[in-house]
Amino acid sequence: MKVAVFWGCRILASQCAYEMSVREVLPKFDGELVDLCEALCCGDPVKSVNDFAANYLSARVLALANLTGAKDLLVPCNRCHFAVSEAKGLIEKDERARAKIVGLLKEEGLQYNPDTRIWHVIDFLHDLIGLDRVKKAVVKPLKGIKLATHYGCQILRYGDLGRVDDAENPRKLDELVGVLGAESVDYAERLDCCGSALTYSHVDSALSLAGSKLKAVQNSGVDGLIVSCPDCGIMFDAKQKDAAVTVGAKLSLPVVYYTQLLGLALSIEQGKLGLNLNQSSVDQLLAKIPA
Amino acid sequence: MSLVDSMSMAKPNLESREKILSKLRGRDPVNCFQCMKCTSGCTALKLLELKPHEIEKLVNLGLVDELASSDIIWTCVTCLKCVQRCPQKASPYHVIMALRNLAVEREAKVPEAYMKAVSQILETGLAEAYQKITTRKMETCDRESLKLPKISGPKEGFQAAFLKALEERQA
Repeated sequence: MKVAVFWGCRILASQCAYEMSVREVLPKFDGELVDLCEALCCGDPVKSVNDFAANYLSARVLALANLTGAKDLLVPCNRCHFAVSEAKGLIEKDERARAKIVGLLKEEGLQYNPDTRIWHVIDFLHDLIGLDRVKKAVVKPLKGIKLATHYGCQILRYGDLGRVDDAENPRKLDELVGVLGAESVDYAERLDCCGSALTYSHVDSALSLAGSKLKAVQNSGVDGLIVSCPDCGIMFDAKQKDAAVTVGAKLSLPVVYYTQLLGLALSIEQGKLGLNLNQSSVDQLLAKIPA
Repeated sequence: MSLVDSMSMAKPNLESREKILSKLRGRDPVNCFQCMKCTSGCTALKLLELKPHEIEKLVNLGLVDELASSDIIWTCVTCLKCVQRCPQKASPYHVIMALRNLAVEREAKVPEAYMKAVSQILETGLAEAYQKITTRKMETCDRESLKLPKISGPKEGFQAAFLKALEERQA
């Protein structure tokens, strides 16, 4: 199955572990990934500056996806997934906006296709490929490992847009962890935000949000935290040391992308999953995975 | 209403209010009945004292200019809980975004990082520059050594089209 992939900025700029593991894992389920011909911003940071220009960028992403000929577009970043979904909703509902945006795209010889389906890694695996197929593909069950999940904000809200999972009680990522043989643990702070967007204006508050959540997850006694968004990945993994200093806690919590975890259960080599690129103490988690 | 000094001579600006409403596509703050569901779940309330229900009220009162020049609109984390939970579909998040747009339009103080992102996009198509990738053991690597494909920037026409979109402002 041909699937267009839009990586956005953050994955390409620094979250190579996510990119590598997505590229390794999805082909195991007949996903033939096709990159868009250009790297582009999804428009999300532009929403604060100029709403129209932001929607234009998001629509341009959809038009670039159209060029690949694939009907399905995978957007592994939560923020990009939100921006592109919101623009799609706008173009469908608002005639004036549609005319303006479609017109601008036409000037570049690009065409918006309303039939493009937008997926995130979580619903792509859970709904399109299906839990059963994921479960059957597991060759190395992750028995005895306890994990906390973090969905992130923008793939859950807001529901009118049609999101990846339920806004208040998401289960899909937990189920995806479950079929790998690991146990997903519920905790009170699971819907708390990583704080990433505040790095634009209030860095300390951003780190404080990330640190508070990390502290809560670590105190719940799990072996690691599973994420599936590059923003959350940066906050919880790359910035874990800074977050620990900000909240005055000793943090040593392994943070991995779901696709990395899945890759381990599929017995894919650790290097190919970018597991040497995570900055948090993932060796702690890897040591617990049965050989 | 801590954002505006009630004893001051602040006057509603209905023109500014109209500008905000025109961006909201029916998510009208006039429907807000101050139930405070937004504020009770607001991520930015805990640390930065953002109170979305106050923003809704002030926009209703027409005190938009005060908001557009206030720091408070830049404290939103964009977690979207207020959009999800508003029983009146008034959506403080979208109001805040419209206020930010107005602040930019008026060249009020805007966190530099946002404007930097826009100029970076104009230049390279991406809001962020590639960073040096290091492993946990501090070994440096790059896309090539990680066997990741080369990434190409946007085509020539993009810059002109994006500039045009930036000038449009409203759709």
